[in-house]
Amino acid sequence: MNAPITDLSQVRNSVEQAHGLPNDHYIDPGVYAEEREALLFSQWAGLAVAADVPEPGDAVPLDFVGLPLLLLRDKDGDVRVFQNICRHRGMILVEQPRKIEGAIRCPYHSWCYSTKGKLVSTPHVGGPGHNTHAAIKRNDLGLIEVRSHVWRDVVWINVSGDAPAFEAAMAPIIERWKEFDLPIYHGGHDSRITLEVQTNWKLAVENYCESYHLPWVHPGLNSYSRLEDHYNIELPGAFSGQGTMFYRQLTNENGDKFPDFEEVGAKWNEQAEYIALYPNVLLGVHRDHAFAIILEPRGPEKTVEHIHLYYSVPDSDEGLRMRNAQLWKTVFEEDIFVVEGMQKGRHATQFDGGRFSPVMDSPTHCFHDWVAGKVETHRAKARAAE
Amino acid sequence: MKEELEARLLAAHEGDDRFALIRLYTQAADIANDLDAECFFLTYAYIFALEMGAAEASGLHARLKAYGRED
Repeated sequence: MNAPITDLSQVRNSVEQAHGLPNDHYIDPGVYAEEREALLFSQWAGLAVAADVPEPGDAVPLDFVGLPLLLLRDKDGDVRVFQNICRHRGMILVEQPRKIEGAIRCPYHSWCYSTKGKLVSTPHVGGPGHNTHAAIKRNDLGLIEVRSHVWRDVVWINVSGDAPAFEAAMAPIIERWKEFDLPIYHGGHDSRITLEVQTNWKLAVENYCESYHLPWVHPGLNSYSRLEDHYNIELPGAFSGQGTMFYRQLTNENGDKFPDFEEVGAKWNEQAEYIALYPNVLLGVHRDHAFAIILEPRGPEKTVEHIHLYYSVPDSDEGLRMRNAQLWKTVFEEDIFVVEGMQKGRHATQFDGGRFSPVMDSPTHCFHDWVAGKVETHRAKARAAE
Repeated sequence: MKEELEARLLAAHEGDDRFALIRLYTQAADIANDLDAECFFLTYAYIFALEMGAAEASGLHARLKAYGRED
């Protein structure tokens, strides 16, 4: 599919002069396919969370922008990601989430793979009852592993395989949040929220990383998290978001609170930060809980938001967890009409990408600049290859 | 293969009872008339044992390997 060549020259201007991304970046299937390569496959993108496969042998098939993947915790407890296909006939190996008791057996001709991806048996490959053949070299035919890394429980993948090492690519955020480099515990089934939204995934990023909309869209936050308490966070080429200097801990009727992340430090007593790590992971940190949102693109105009809440201890109070999950669910649901409304607006033919508040919208502009830069690089490589 | 064993194998397939399949295919191998037939049935037993992480897998593998039918 040939993508239309969109004009990105104005996107990369200074925030005072810039226009947002053209409509085609939100509605055109060709641009969506181009961005799949330029923005999602070439970077460290969020796929899932390690809590999705808590036990060795747990396997979950996933579709990542059309790429069939298998998320698996191997027998030694390491999280791995494979292309979910047999090396024989390309058959999908695992159709439903399940436990791999021993080996992954292809349901077609029963080639078997270990949970580490090694091809361990090829039944009848040399004829009935002959399970080897000189032409079939098992060492060369293991499952195709996708480069992956787990950080803050998010399973990050680099499909192209050529991004810098995760620790190098993410060094700025790892340094920024070094006080939070502590064990985190998924709150369990009551701490998972899934929202299907009729929007392009980038609009969810854009809405998340600015605080400008908070008093209008989330009036309930005004009572304890006012706009003037917020600050912008921007690192061009890597992430943007917002922080607040006033975080009030959740309490129940007895005045109980979640325990803090031990040793997180006084800096975070009333401070919290919400950062969009490009391309598709939205993270939030507080003294007593954190969250991760994986944006799953399902097409130019559809996104599934996978929201996970984390705590400092494995056995946090269930009632408080339920209350906290409801609080965040309400906030995130309040954003749906905004991202869906902007998506519908991208079909207005005269929309020119819009203009930014130089003060309040710079985190959004930072993201657009990153998108435009990556797309331009991708196009330049494609031209060079012609 | 005896008719009774064949019927039990079909029932095990029908019920997707992998552990029964391991046991029954091993029995089929044990009573096979020639090496090819034995290895044919051993292969099924071995693959289902591998899939289920069953303890029988190592012994079945050893039998196939001894016949030069498995790595």
